[in-house]
Parts: sequence; C-alpha cells; structure tokens
Amino acid sequence: MNIQERLLKFVTLTNWILFITASIAGLIMSPPDFSRGIIFGGLIVTVNFHLLYRTLKKNLSPSHLTSHNVILAKYYVRFFISGLIIFFLISNHYVNPIGLFIGLSVVVASIMLATMVEFKKLFFKEAV
Amino acid sequence: MEQFALQFFIACVTAAGFGIAIAAFGCGLGQGMGLKAAVEGIARNPESSGKVTVTMLIGLAMIESLCIYALVISLILIYAHPQAAAIAGLFAKGH
Repeated sequence: MNIQERLLKFVTLTNWILFITASIAGLIMSPPDFSRGIIFGGLIVTVNFHLLYRTLKKNLSPSHLTSHNVILAKYYVRFFISGLIIFFLISNHYVNPIGLFIGLSVVVASIMLATMVEFKKLFFKEAV
Repeated sequence: MEQFALQFFIACVTAAGFGIAIAAFGCGLGQGMGLKAAVEGIARNPESSGKVTVTMLIGLAMIESLCIYALVISLILIYAHPQAAAIAGLFAKGH
C-alpha cells in the first residue's frame, strides 16, 4: 500500500475513533453542553471530511470528469450548511464554545497523528 | 453602562468581521494554490489522479478546518462571548 492510501485510511479511521473517544469522555466527565459541543463539532467535521472525499473522488477521476461548477457548488453548499449549523448552535447557546472547538479539532488531530506516525516510520526505517 | 456595553459589542463585531475576512482570504489563497497544483498534476499525468486526489483531500481538510475555526471564534465573539458582562462592567467602572 502506498503512503497516500495508508494516510487516508489512517485519517478516516482515526477520525471516527477520536470522535467516539472524545464524545464518551465528554459525556462522562463534562457538563451536558460541553459534551454536546464535542459531539456536534466532531460530527460536523467528520461528515464534512467524508463528503469532501466523495466529491473529489467522483469529480477528479479521469474516467468521469465533471464540470468544475459541480465541484464548486457542492463545496459551497457543504460549507454553507456547516456554517449555518455552527451559527445556530452558538447563537442559541446549545453548546459550550470550548467543547465545540474540541469537537471541531478531531480531523486536525487525526491528520497530525497520521503525520507523526509517518514521521516515526520514516525515522525508524532510516535507523534500520 | 449600556453605552459601554454597546462600545464593547461594536469592538467584538469589528474583530469578528476582520477575523473571518483574514481567515477566508488566507484559506482561499491556500486552497486555490493546492487545487491549482493538483489539477495541473492530474492534467500532466492522468494516471496519478488517485494519489494526487488523496493528498489534496488531506490538505484541503486541514486548510478548511482553519477557516471553520475562525468562523467559530467570530461567532463566539458576537453571540457567546464568555466574559462579555464582566468586560462591559470593567468599561463602566473605568469611566
């Protein structure tokens, strides 16, 4: 398996693992609005990541290249919907902002983790 | 007191506006550059489409999350500032 596929698999899996772990930890250890923030934030970014993957995979494979307008429209619709959800969550005080921030960091954390694992592999390979 | 609270609110809204504007500007540039390079790569070597798309996906997700962070901070500044009442009170005491 090449590095790109490995990274994607790792990030996709780690996204869900981190999201579930953070949600359970939030539900056990923090007040309800904080855990709601983690759950909603994590869901928004994880679903966003999957939708972005589907859009790019569908539209950038040479066998069925579609119009760039389709990619742009999908991108903006996705971004608008996530922005709207975050707006409603914050303006109606349904979630704790810090919890939401932690939830939104799930994808970034898993990408960082994947990078660190790859770095580790690289150094380990060089040492051997 | 209301006047100072209003001043504080105006400052928050201005900061939120500048914050999201700068973030969108930077993220737009970053995503545009990434996309340009990826599409050029696919155009030169269509077989590498899968590899390029995966790498670009991870990069785009990273950049996009930065813009969402800025959006969250801006919305917090406008709608859910944790210390809004305390800071408005300090304004009032200071004058």
